[in-house]
Amino acid sequence: MPTVTIDGKRIKVKKDATILDAANKVGIWIPTLCHHRALSSDASCRICMVEVDRGEWRQLVTACNYPVRRDITVYVSSERAKQARRGVMELLLARAPESRELKELAERMDVMQTHYPTVTESQRNCILCGLCVRVCEEIIGQAAIGFVGRGVDRAVAAPFRQPSEDCIGCGVCAAICPVGTIKIRIHPDQQEVEISPFKSRAKLMVCRECGTPIVSSEVSKQVLSKIQINWEEFRESLQLCPKCKRLHTAGKLTSTIANKTGDREGVY
Amino acid sequence: MPQDKELIEQIIKRYDEDTGMLIPMMQDLQSECGYLPVEHLRYMGGLLKVPMSRMFAVATFYSSFRLAPKGAHEVTLCMGTVCYLKGAPGISEAICQEFHVEPGGTTRDRLFSFNAVNCVGACALAPVMIVDGKYYDGVNPKSALEILHGLQPTEDSTETDTKEAVK
Amino acid sequence: MIRASTKFISANDIERFVQEFHDRADSASKVVRICIGTGCAAKGSRRLYELFCEAAKRSDQDIRVEAKCVGCHGFCERGPIVVVEPGEVFYQQVEEPDVAEIFRETVLGGRVERIVLIGNGRFDPTQISDYIVEGGYSALAKVISSMTPEEVISEVEIAGLRGRGGGGFPTARKWRSCREAKGSLKYVICNGDEGDPGAFMDRSIMEGNPHSVIEGMLIGAYAIGSEQGYIYVRNEYPMAVEHLKTAISQARDMGLLGKNILGSSFSFDIRINRGGGAFVCGESTALMASLEGRTGEPRAKYVHTVESGLRGKPTNLNNVETWANIPQIIKRGGEWFAGIGTEKSKGTKVFSLVGNVVNTGLVEVPMGITLRRIIDEIGGGIRDGKRFKAVQTGGPSGGCIPAEHLDARVDFDELTKLGSMMGSGGMIVMDENTCMVKVAKYFTDFLHKESCGKCTPCREGLSQMLHILDRITKGEGEVDEMEKLERLAELLEGTALCALGKTAANPVLSTLRFFREEYEAHILDRHCPAKECRGLFRYQIDPEACKACGICLKNCTVNAITGEKKVPHVINQEKCTLCGACWEKCPFTAVKKV
Repeated sequence: MPTVTIDGKRIKVKKDATILDAANKVGIWIPTLCHHRALSSDASCRICMVEVDRGEWRQLVTACNYPVRRDITVYVSSERAKQARRGVMELLLARAPESRELKELAERMDVMQTHYPTVTESQRNCILCGLCVRVCEEIIGQAAIGFVGRGVDRAVAAPFRQPSEDCIGCGVCAAICPVGTIKIRIHPDQQEVEISPFKSRAKLMVCRECGTPIVSSEVSKQVLSKIQINWEEFRESLQLCPKCKRLHTAGKLTSTIANKTGDREGVY
Repeated sequence: MPQDKELIEQIIKRYDEDTGMLIPMMQDLQSECGYLPVEHLRYMGGLLKVPMSRMFAVATFYSSFRLAPKGAHEVTLCMGTVCYLKGAPGISEAICQEFHVEPGGTTRDRLFSFNAVNCVGACALAPVMIVDGKYYDGVNPKSALEILHGLQPTEDSTETDTKEAVK
Repeated sequence: MIRASTKFISANDIERFVQEFHDRADSASKVVRICIGTGCAAKGSRRLYELFCEAAKRSDQDIRVEAKCVGCHGFCERGPIVVVEPGEVFYQQVEEPDVAEIFRETVLGGRVERIVLIGNGRFDPTQISDYIVEGGYSALAKVISSMTPEEVISEVEIAGLRGRGGGGFPTARKWRSCREAKGSLKYVICNGDEGDPGAFMDRSIMEGNPHSVIEGMLIGAYAIGSEQGYIYVRNEYPMAVEHLKTAISQARDMGLLGKNILGSSFSFDIRINRGGGAFVCGESTALMASLEGRTGEPRAKYVHTVESGLRGKPTNLNNVETWANIPQIIKRGGEWFAGIGTEKSKGTKVFSLVGNVVNTGLVEVPMGITLRRIIDEIGGGIRDGKRFKAVQTGGPSGGCIPAEHLDARVDFDELTKLGSMMGSGGMIVMDENTCMVKVAKYFTDFLHKESCGKCTPCREGLSQMLHILDRITKGEGEVDEMEKLERLAELLEGTALCALGKTAANPVLSTLRFFREEYEAHILDRHCPAKECRGLFRYQIDPEACKACGICLKNCTVNAITGEKKVPHVINQEKCTLCGACWEKCPFTAVKKV
């Protein structure tokens, strides 16, 4: 097992573990944006740059996907590594000036402002980290959105910029977006959930008791198809919102107790 | 679309249904149709089990793919370094202004599609303009416009307003 | 002409074929070779070929004449090119009326003159028999019948061949790493995605001598242990694709590609893929992504492609010119090759010399030759009597080199010290009328459009750099922006994901290094010294050259010019909108840019 010496701290890691894994183990923080441990690493945002000792020189590499194969020495807090990360953050702040989450991360990195103007016209506030695209493809399995175009005009969109037919309205893309650009919007009158800015919509399942939207019908269908269960009561309970479900269960409990103890009414 | 279904099936078979050959498949499709129609891409993606998001990503990444119909003629202007230094931007501007077209687009009357590409490797002939595979060397804004005004609309692009364009 | 219909089943068959050819064919005593590369064909060389054929038929002399179409010499500036052999009499800018004279004088008359010739224009690229008769595929025969894969790699190692696509990585080392990588399924790729504007070396080789590439790949595949190869050709090179397809088909027919080549257990075949129109696909991992039917986005190379490349398998990728060198190295020996060039840069290199030189075209010279010799001796110096200003080398990843460094030797390492690089061999010569800030903007714009957009520094950084350069060329630059450009350049170099991004700032850096005063003039004086940037120079009428013809006056849309008959005209600078109409129209070039 190779040893990583990271900012002076030594730790053994499995072969092909990443520098980021090693850093996490010893409690050294390295900022990340496009990295998520449940997904493949693209290393496209370049915010996790660190230096690796090469003897006569030091190489700047991305910590999230650099595989450790032999003993190496890594510098996270060196001037050059810090400057590299800050430079990248300044470019990102210029790209996504309205993101609160990004500004918070920047502050944590001691980057208070950017010296660059916002020059991009297309898809502001998206840092093109690709997490939404990857989660939809790798975890959800729908691949409803993808990258479009090339270079500065690169954007994340549904195919042909039309609402995607493959979108099931699960909202995981909104959950994983690190800069808060993707949002879920509920349209109660149409009983639909919309994922903005992709304009994709999905029908919502509503509580059969009170009419509150619960989850997208498609998600529910998919979940059910993955769970091998024939218990009819389970399926029925899925059609109730959490509040109604609790009332329903409480009602059943009280009636069970009442039946057991005769006509005594009481709730434990 | 029905007869084109066969075309798409043929193309896929030609490459043994190998999704790695997606780009040559799209190139063959564009050769036949002149561009990449949405429905054709959908059908192709369905047969290959490739999600539409990837079909769209590939179709929009490479400069040679077109998602809108092209014109009766293909006009390509080289924007390589030597052509650029010898005035290619001026020629491009002249064409865009005269014919109300953008690089990568097609004129309204579908007379020609206009592409600006990087170096075609004929630097001694700079500036170079290629019309339907024919190379014109040493063009300038005036001569380029003359050549383009001389283009005849073919049967394919006959629309009611083509006569206006020819005037 | 012998039709290639035999199938080779053993190494000796090739030699026998050549022998039979010489015995049987009543070889023509005179051969006229007409170039049909893209450049010459565009000027009507095919028609010349027809005319020569007719003349040959009509000839009632005892001399037998044969006309042949050949591939690009590289002397496109002077095309159409016709060469008569024996004697290698070289004709340039041949037009239809010349055919009769050439035929009479040289073909029948036999006048001998010797001028520069490049190895390419010797045979018809669509006839495999031409290649074989000139010694082609004999290296393959040698390899298969008498060399082990390790011996092949050793020979290439002795030769000291380094990659010709720009990276300059030692080829033998790459082959060996790939050979030693785990797994039995391995790929070899030929990178024909020559995207550097102004460079067309690979086009010439693929069009004019496709078999040299095929033979090189066969030998490489044998050494590495691969059975499948790919040639990735740029979409904008239709003739190269056509000639490669023909060559591969003919090689297959003769048993030189396919199963059990030349009776051995070695099998190999090649597939051609056309690019979709993306410069970034010249980067090896982007090219492989494209071959996998995906968008051409590069990936990290912490694990090299020789270990995990195309579809995760060990893959050896080399440039067209690199592959084309292999057959000669095997045939004539690594030591012969190592005897040419410099200590660390062996062999020759093909350069494409274009721009403001008298002779533009391709040159193949030993490494170590100086820039001055290439530009002056071979290029014929600057055309139109102008002064040399800079030579841009290495494409968008390279930089500009000024006159004071013209004695720099061209090889893998020397130009890098000057902030440029040899790259794939593109050389663009610029004269005194070139604005170096505009050149930097051109390359930055090019890369900005071609960037895949995956990583932040390249995508955003190039946008920021372009924004600054645009303002500078418009006279809106600020003093601190030069430093900003340098900081952005450093950021790109350190943090970009692939070589495109890492070297993207070189054009800006090198021009800042050698032509800083031009940037300063644009920013501080709002003036373009080369008088190219609109609005940053003025027009003035030279009173001595002015003939008072009044044309400028008539064409000025804002009536800024005053003058009468016999009185030199004057431009009112306050009214002048700098449109340049007077400069264009003046028949006496009396309107000067200042």
